Amino acid sequence: MKRIVRLTVNGLERDVMVEPHHTLLDVLRREFDIMSVREGCGVGMCGACTVLADGKPVSSCLTLASLAHRQTLETIEALNPDGELHPIQQAYLDNAGFQCSFCTPGFILATKALIEENPSPTPDEVREYLSGNLCRCGSYAKIMDAVLDAAERHRRTTELS
Amino acid sequence: MITFDLLEPRSVEESTTMLAQRGDEARIIAGGTAVVLMLKNRLISPGALISLGNLDELRYIRSDPDGTLRIGAMTTIREVELSPVVKKSSPTLAHACRQVGNVRVRHAATMGGNLSEADYASDPPCVLVAARARVKVASARGVREVPLTEWFKDFYETAIQPDELVTELILPPQPASVGSAYIKYVTRSSEDRPCLGVAAFVDRDAGGVCRELRVAVGAVAATPQEVDAAEKVAVGHPLTAELIRDVAERYAAAIDPISDLRGSAWYRTQMIKVFVRDAILQAVDGQATESK
Repeated sequence: MKRIVRLTVNGLERDVMVEPHHTLLDVLRREFDIMSVREGCGVGMCGACTVLADGKPVSSCLTLASLAHRQTLETIEALNPDGELHPIQQAYLDNAGFQCSFCTPGFILATKALIEENPSPTPDEVREYLSGNLCRCGSYAKIMDAVLDAAERHRRTTELS
Repeated sequence: MITFDLLEPRSVEESTTMLAQRGDEARIIAGGTAVVLMLKNRLISPGALISLGNLDELRYIRSDPDGTLRIGAMTTIREVELSPVVKKSSPTLAHACRQVGNVRVRHAATMGGNLSEADYASDPPCVLVAARARVKVASARGVREVPLTEWFKDFYETAIQPDELVTELILPPQPASVGSAYIKYVTRSSEDRPCLGVAAFVDRDAGGVCRELRVAVGAVAATPQEVDAAEKVAVGHPLTAELIRDVAERYAAAIDPISDLRGSAWYRTQMIKVFVRDAILQAVDGQATESK
């Protein structure tokens, strides 16, 4: 039976009608029109449906929308509310850290969580943290450059402020 | 059309009452990483799903004065992996939790869910068996503790009753003389589930004579495999390279492994020999480092 759930997505609270079995991925795409969360594998392995829940990356394909009301949710759209690219997005662009870009929103959200947790990650730490995000174009070397660059930009900004 | 009642109790007591009322048709959902997959694949079709998301009372990691480690069932795998308390008192459990799935799965999946799912290819179970951990379960009838050695019954089957709920994982303190290790061996991509995982706990006296050896092999059969007769061979002797090899060969001979995409039964037998040996060696090394 459908029920009303209040979800907080990218800073906005909204009530939506969902079936108990609907995943957060379904609801973000259908009710919120957020197409940057994508279904790749549907089993939590690829990272294309990554969202941040209370700042931590989770798979929206394995999250029931009706239970997501406890958390603050963010998709890639939260990174540039004014249309200006977020420093992590700029780093991905400057380092050509993507080809087809299907996986990119997931990678960037995971990068954001990684850098917030560990502002100076080593290449091995980046590899470990992002090992659950798959890029079928195989842009991994460029993604690594982008993540290390993004971390450096982030450190520079936090030192200035 | 999948349809079920989604219940969100606010306490353990309310949860066990719901379980008692709904019985067999109810399923518990914690982090959801296992249950949602099962729902999607129609492996389960519960009449009611009871979410434990509101049970903050089950979200804790604490150490008793005697060193016993207590982990609430709703603590995420990621929280266990990163906890300074766990890293100090059970570094091998922290290490095994770090090997689970990927960081997104670990942010959602819970320790109680891991124990309840009883996935044969999950990393923590064999460590917990070798550590002689216990599970605390609650129902409307009361509370009981089950040793991990009696917990896993078959593929995805545990000693839990339909009206029971996992509330806590209990790890007994390990004496300073115990060294431990967990090795995950993957045959495909780095983030894959293991072809096999081996946990070893070794207790030796100051002279290097083995007092106790506990080795559990995961992902090779329905449940973590421990070979008592092989462990006993080591007790009372210094752990020489030869003796460790003998123990590993006894493990390989005693376990009847499964065949799947991650390795045939024959291959797994060969790998049991290699990784039981390596896990014992690493546990011995760890012990040496810790006592320095």
